[in-house]
Amino acid sequence: MAEAEGGIGPSHWTNAAFVAPYMLILLGMLFMPLCLGIWLAFQDYDMLGGWSGGVGIENFQNLLDDRIFRGTVRNTLKFVLMTTPAFVALGLFLALALNNTLRRSALLRAIFFGSSVLSVTIVTLVWRLVYLPDRGLLANALGLFGLPGVDLMTSQVWALPAIAIVTVWWIIGLPMTLFLAGLQQIPPELYEAAALDNAGRWRTLTGITLPSIRRTIVVVAVIEVILQFQLFGQALLITGGGPDNSTRPMVQFIYEAGFRDLQLGFAAAASQVLFALMLIAALAQFWAGRRKGV
Amino acid sequence: MADLSLRHVSKRFGQVEVIRDLSLEIPSGEFAVFLGPSGCGKSTLLRMIAGLETLGAGEIHLGGARIDTIAPGDRGVAMVFQHYALYPHMTVRQNMAFGLRNIATPPNEIERKIADAAEMLEIAELLERKPGQLSGGQRQRVAIGRAIVKQPRAFLFDEPLSNLDAALRSRTRIELARLHQRVRATMIFVTHDQVEAMTMATRIVVMNQGRIEQIGTPMEIYQRPRTRFVAGFIGAPAMNFLPVAAVREEAGHLVVTLPGGASVTTTVPAAGLRSGAALTLGVRAEHVHPGSGAPARVDVIERLGERTLVYANLSDGSTIVYDEPGDVVLQVGETVHIAIDGAAAHLFDAQGMALHG
Amino acid sequence: MQTYQRGKSLGDRVLLAAVIGLALVWLAPIVWVIGLSFKPNEVLMHSTGGILAPPFTLKNYIDILAASSVFSWMLNSTIVAVGQTVLTLLIASLAGYGFARTNFPGRSVLFVLVLAALAVPEQAIIVPLHTMFAAADLHNTYAALIAPRLAFPFGVLLMTQYFRAIPPEIDEAALLDRASRIKIFFRIILPLSIPAQATLGIYTFLHAWNEYFWPLVSATKPAMYTLTVGLASMQTNFAQTEGIGFLMAQAVFAGLPVLILYLFFQRHIIAAVAGGPIK
Ligand SMILES: Nc1ncnc2c1ncn2[C@@H]1O[C@H](COP(=O)(O)OP(=O)(O)OP(=O)(O)O)[C@@H](O)[C@H]1O
Ligand SMILES: [Mg+2]
Repeated sequence: MAEAEGGIGPSHWTNAAFVAPYMLILLGMLFMPLCLGIWLAFQDYDMLGGWSGGVGIENFQNLLDDRIFRGTVRNTLKFVLMTTPAFVALGLFLALALNNTLRRSALLRAIFFGSSVLSVTIVTLVWRLVYLPDRGLLANALGLFGLPGVDLMTSQVWALPAIAIVTVWWIIGLPMTLFLAGLQQIPPELYEAAALDNAGRWRTLTGITLPSIRRTIVVVAVIEVILQFQLFGQALLITGGGPDNSTRPMVQFIYEAGFRDLQLGFAAAASQVLFALMLIAALAQFWAGRRKGV
Repeated sequence: MADLSLRHVSKRFGQVEVIRDLSLEIPSGEFAVFLGPSGCGKSTLLRMIAGLETLGAGEIHLGGARIDTIAPGDRGVAMVFQHYALYPHMTVRQNMAFGLRNIATPPNEIERKIADAAEMLEIAELLERKPGQLSGGQRQRVAIGRAIVKQPRAFLFDEPLSNLDAALRSRTRIELARLHQRVRATMIFVTHDQVEAMTMATRIVVMNQGRIEQIGTPMEIYQRPRTRFVAGFIGAPAMNFLPVAAVREEAGHLVVTLPGGASVTTTVPAAGLRSGAALTLGVRAEHVHPGSGAPARVDVIERLGERTLVYANLSDGSTIVYDEPGDVVLQVGETVHIAIDGAAAHLFDAQGMALHG
Repeated sequence: MQTYQRGKSLGDRVLLAAVIGLALVWLAPIVWVIGLSFKPNEVLMHSTGGILAPPFTLKNYIDILAASSVFSWMLNSTIVAVGQTVLTLLIASLAGYGFARTNFPGRSVLFVLVLAALAVPEQAIIVPLHTMFAAADLHNTYAALIAPRLAFPFGVLLMTQYFRAIPPEIDEAALLDRASRIKIFFRIILPLSIPAQATLGIYTFLHAWNEYFWPLVSATKPAMYTLTVGLASMQTNFAQTEGIGFLMAQAVFAGLPVLILYLFFQRHIIAAVAGGPIK
């Protein structure tokens, strides 16, 4: 899907009527708020006090000085670093397994994908119950082995990993599906040639399969980084950001600054920082992928 | 019934000039075939007539009225596409009715026209099927039917036979020729297959690199090619081309020598040609006679059944192909003697233009 | 896809067992929650073990029908999701047709804008978007819930890509048949793109149904809550709720529509995620 190719028939401005409804919505609902947001980030503007003029980069300086904001950046990065490798590794494992056991794979694929059609509210509802220290599913399972229940949600160490597990359970379907699509693109002749060369299972995997889907691996990693930077609902609904801010992500900070404290300029500045971090992370990965000759 | 007239038409895609200042008149009721190698611009020219490509320059007139400035649907032409382009979600009947409905034809008239066309093309029993349920040949007929019901002033065909198998292709050739006699509309047919051109055309337009090389009836094109390109493109096997030198004049006609030294008396007037000029002699396989003349060594024998093609090397290494009967007894490596029928041979100058008598 | 046959080796069996085990882990929370939703709240106060043993009850579901706002939230979600789906299909198809099949001045520039929109995350614009809707006094309306997501470029790109794969001769034949552009769009291109419409439609519906952040900040009156936001609003006081069983019944009730949709349109949903409609 690169640039537009030639259409049919002579060029005439009336044909633009086909794209006009969408372009108007795109400008009004996406590009206009984007520009407004960039402007807001340099203003002292809060819902209660009103607009008190431009403040240059003061909002950004305040963010840098804000201990809680720095904490949310740290939490978000930690979360991205926890989940992205998990999504890539588990997604790839499932795709490889399902790609080989073809007959069973439709049902298994449906199971692993199914959880991603649920909303974040349902997912967190289910998992809060799973994590309930005394009566949760986890406690029940530990009980089978005679172990006491643990309260992950109030642990500064374990709360964020617990949210990461929920997230992986929720949307493992996306990376799995992308990897499956990538695996289906590999020409079967490659495997036939490898079999004729007496390549074993491991050699086939490392010599043919993985090199063939290197591009997909980079794409999945980039997509996951971008998605996981946007962590919000799970944290808000499972831990509310606690304990002691140890799970509060950047998006929750934006939400609270903008919609609870109504500091619009400050929240908009935080949004720009998030946007910039996401772009940098995605570009860095593409660049790293390119360097490896993907 | 209309004259189609193209006046100084040209077209470029980006840097590439695909049609170069091309002018052409096709009298009404002709079956004109645009013939040329792949990429020479045949389809582009046809699509410009249909209005699917804009003109870079020039004008197109049909039936006395200028059409290149009006919308494709208003030009009074119908097109049969190479891959048929039937509407996949409509039945055959709906496919044929779609264009008629768009010009608000009364329903009973639509029915009548579809019934007539279906009968003529023997597709009456297919009317309620969708294109996906038809064979390639049937789709072909439906595509033609969709064009016929519109009673266009001109039919445009873009290689419509190229997806058919050999037997069906030759049958459809005959049917198209018959159809042309019946509807008497102007037909323009694009192909790179010279057999299709020879068998169906009342007039062939040979194209090369966006220009017209020659226009004429099939036999004119075959017997009196105007350029070396046309001579080589028409006829199977391809015409033999041998480098020759003009040596002398004999009763006003030019005599040339072959690489091996043998001489051939042509029917080309010698006037204006100096002796020793470098020329190319062109001769078709059927005008090369074995038995006497220059010695040659048999290289490849191609048996076609009713006749046999023999490829033989002359003494200088150049290859010449000639005809033998189907059951000729011959071995590769044998030496044969061949003579060229000078009266049927062609001569081309260094620019590739034919010298005619 | 491997086409050659290979006997089931030990490795294959171990792999299969591992994946099946993992699948059970994946299913466990859902099965457990469904089980809990049929248990009396009093029992769950003490223990959540033994979900397969009686007593069972339908009371939790009856309570939903009787009391809670879940129904009106579900209605809101349905209106928003259906409205968004219908509008997205129409607008994205029109735009896709414009980009894939027509020529007009500035087309490639506009298409680059659409591609660029892919890079803009929701969080980068949600604060100013909220300000804009507040200025227009549009919050707590269906229009506010529907409009922002119509700008997402995925649908336009999907339809453009799909239309490009339809042979252009079909449109050209229709042009020669004197059909207008609009007629070609509605009578030829739309019917031919039903698989893509289905894929985009289901994908859009699911996203609209599950959307959380924007409805959370735009629909602030409980009467305008969507199901996702409404359920979340009840979660915050987990301990004092009417009971775990009731909560779980609501989760099951809310998840049912998407799960049913998923069962029927699994292929389309997965295809949309994999980057294109079913061929
Ligand atoms: N839309 C286009 N953009 C750029 N170049 C084009 C386009 N259409 C055709 N061409 C070029 O114009 C030239 C003529 O194309 P055209 O399709 O008319 O050839 P043709 O004679 O019909 O060949 P064929 O027998 O293979 O169908 C070719 O070199 C082709 O690459
Ligand atoms: Mg062509």
